[in-house]
Amino acid sequence: MDSLARRLEALLFISARPLPAAELADACSCPHEEVVEALASLRDEYCAERHGFVLHEVAGGFTFAVADDCAADVRRLSGAERPDDLTPALLETLAVVAYLQLVTRSDVAEIRGVSSEWALTSLEERGLVEQQGRADTPGSPILYGSGERFLKLFGLRSLSELPPLEEFSLRASAVDEIRARLLSNAERRRA
Amino acid sequence: MGKAGGATAMRGEAVAVAAPPVLLDLDLDVFDGPFDLLITLILKDEIDIWEVRVSRIIAEYVLKLADSGDFDLDATSQFVVLVAALLEMKSRLLLEEDVEEDLEDLDPDEAAQRLLERLVRYSQFKNAGGALGDRWDEHAGRLYRNVAVPPALLRRPAPEGALPAQALVTALAPLLRDPPLPDTSHLADLAVSLVKELGRLRLILGDEGRFTFADVASRDRLERAVTFFALLELHSSGEALLRQTRHFGDIIVTRAARVARAEVAPVPVAAG
Repeated sequence: MDSLARRLEALLFISARPLPAAELADACSCPHEEVVEALASLRDEYCAERHGFVLHEVAGGFTFAVADDCAADVRRLSGAERPDDLTPALLETLAVVAYLQLVTRSDVAEIRGVSSEWALTSLEERGLVEQQGRADTPGSPILYGSGERFLKLFGLRSLSELPPLEEFSLRASAVDEIRARLLSNAERRRA
Repeated sequence: MGKAGGATAMRGEAVAVAAPPVLLDLDLDVFDGPFDLLITLILKDEIDIWEVRVSRIIAEYVLKLADSGDFDLDATSQFVVLVAALLEMKSRLLLEEDVEEDLEDLDPDEAAQRLLERLVRYSQFKNAGGALGDRWDEHAGRLYRNVAVPPALLRRPAPEGALPAQALVTALAPLLRDPPLPDTSHLADLAVSLVKELGRLRLILGDEGRFTFADVASRDRLERAVTFFALLELHSSGEALLRQTRHFGDIIVTRAARVARAEVAPVPVAAG
């Protein structure tokens, strides 16, 4: 391992949060490109085949994480529990916040067609959404967005890594079918 | 889903037999909200929503609950939400109004088109939520390094004997000195008291017999207020008469002849 890779290894070892490449370059007083190159060699080195911990790029930076197949042992040792799973309603609310942020409670309710107070509060308690200011509209409603914890728990480097929303559109045939049924309903009501 | 067990166990129980041949399987495990229910009902059923007998569903559910003796609060509250949503939709349909409140003035075709757009948009997020769920399953259990920097690395201990004893004295001396008094010159200093101001105005009134508010008031807001209060005091004690030629105009103060207080008519004063 070359000397820059070893120095980066030390910084990553000691940091409790993901470190962006730019910050690593500053700390080492090295050109950004060299740091990126050294990080790539570190990633090759710290892979699950060779070590019990792995170098991940997540939440805008680089950080070590326990290899997934070793996590159970670590949990037994530390007593740390896997976070409780999210209900479909929470996932759906989270999707609205993650894709449209910043949003207000009423934005979320408008899209989901159901009041989402509880879901937002619950996501906030879990640290998956954060209050990120207030809208400049009457009543100054709270604006919600997602934070670093969201990116970490979903293994995302940044929000731009979310698949485009268009990928999740209903199939055209399903849209046609819904349309046909709604229209026939409308027809019946007119009659 | 933390309550997956309970909800799955309930799935079979929530099968509702309404007026035959209507059979509606209310899958509590996948229910997310009215839009979700609406899509499910529209896509799945070949019946109209208003043919579903909600009372029958509830009766069956309560019976099953009584039989099993096992009360799952999460699953039961989901059931209540679901039935409430169903009731709301059904009552709207029965009233022959459009499903959406704000669509009342639209013709049915347009209403259907609007509703379709909302459903399509909603389902994008529902599906995105599903995809997030897959990512969650894969990543949420990962244990990232989150240990704080060891304190030993944050503090740099000085080598033994590196500092002379005199350095301690030098360091301590400034701490023993009284700090200079903070400069409060920027804070407003209330230079007048009501009693002093009354005295001053009485003197002027005695000497001049007549003056105006503008003559005697200072520029400071607070002091002006005190002067104004003093004027009111002079007026109420019958020592002075106050007069204004127009609203917000200057106040003219004249000495009142020492007469009975009752004769001094109150004069409205708009402002100083």
